[in-house]
Amino acid sequence: MPIKWVLHWQPNPGTTVNTQILTEVSQCVEGINGVKEGRWKATLSFYKPMVREQANATEFPRDFLGISLQEQPNKYYLVIRGQRLIVEADSTIQTIMEKLQSYKTRVALNFEGFQYQLGDFQLRVGKVVPIHSESLRGIVMEMEYLPISSWEKSHQIMGEFFDIWQEALSKRSLPGHFVHIEPNFAEYGLSDEYSSQHTAAQYASIMAQMIATAQSAQAARN
Amino acid sequence: MECVVQGIIETQHVEALEILLQGLCGVHRERLRIHELCLKSCPNLGLVSSEVRLLCDLEQSEPTWTVRQVGGAMRGAGAEQISVLVRNTVESKISKDALRLFYALGYRLDHELLRVGFAFHFQRGAQITVTVSSINKMLKLHSTDEAVPVTPGIQLVEVTAPASSENYSEVVAAVSSFCEYLAPLLHLSKPGISTGVVPTAAAAAASLMSDGGGATL
Repeated sequence: MPIKWVLHWQPNPGTTVNTQILTEVSQCVEGINGVKEGRWKATLSFYKPMVREQANATEFPRDFLGISLQEQPNKYYLVIRGQRLIVEADSTIQTIMEKLQSYKTRVALNFEGFQYQLGDFQLRVGKVVPIHSESLRGIVMEMEYLPISSWEKSHQIMGEFFDIWQEALSKRSLPGHFVHIEPNFAEYGLSDEYSSQHTAAQYASIMAQMIATAQSAQAARN
Repeated sequence: MECVVQGIIETQHVEALEILLQGLCGVHRERLRIHELCLKSCPNLGLVSSEVRLLCDLEQSEPTWTVRQVGGAMRGAGAEQISVLVRNTVESKISKDALRLFYALGYRLDHELLRVGFAFHFQRGAQITVTVSSINKMLKLHSTDEAVPVTPGIQLVEVTAPASSENYSEVVAAVSSFCEYLAPLLHLSKPGISTGVVPTAAAAAASLMSDGGGATL
């Protein structure tokens, strides 16, 4: 499977993400000759433990996520990020979780937008919005390099493309920049050969980062 | 949803049963070696306790995992009248860290067992699966190489078929009809309703073994 970097937008301190930034980013992709192809979407849900004694709720994970990816329409990914646990299951695992009633989905987010072809790269620009809402919570990008499936082997070319992209975007003087966090895939038991589980791990890391950013922005306001 | 019946047979008659099934199904048997882990939620988790099963297929070159949730059986006067259990089930294939995940979520191992035997999968009015297996318990945690039969000399026969709320009547009829062919060797009934071994089993088995399955019972 081709390797992919998932990036997220880090607003400058004191600023927030807005749809104008999203528009500028999309225009920048087209400006470097990205050809718009179609829509894409991923979803991420937070699972909350249902407990009888609220005091003991901390014995259960608070970072249990469920992720669906467009590239795997019949699969669903469950991640407990703090324990570096990830499983790939059929989509029916969602029905199983509903029937068990031990965990319920608390918040669900859509990552959605347009896909662009740029030579051997596929770029996806997406807004992060809660399901049933248009309130923008973030911006993500996927940078996919089709010829290579080895994470190690792809590092140099991905780094170079990322630099080109950052430079093109910097000309627009936007109040923030894209960040790439590379999870330690080995900690998740994942190999060098790229897979959708690697993508799910990157989305889980991004969520942790976005939550941390939102919490520190909230603290600064308080 | 699935339709299920179960029965028991003495190990000495399993070979005869296999001959009979081979003749009825027209397909080859598949070997079965499944490590089944039954997990239950720990006391504080969930407003009601929940149970989930992890099944590891050890017959594959690379063990494959499935998670299975068995729901309630169909109830009511209609359900009591039929001899086949109809119940809700949901299954999902899952990757190898499933057990670690469920432990992390607050599930604990209630019991585990190893099913060893064979299965026939075929179409006869419904997609039917017949499994014949010994149920074994592990002497040490997860040690599938050191498993001993729970009931030596007796094996479990299960006939299952997937169904939906639209077609379960037809599936029940197909399963019931198929079970009649097995009647000389074993009696199949709803899980939990035990009927023991069948008195005609020995004679039926002898007949099958001498014919090699060529003649009907």
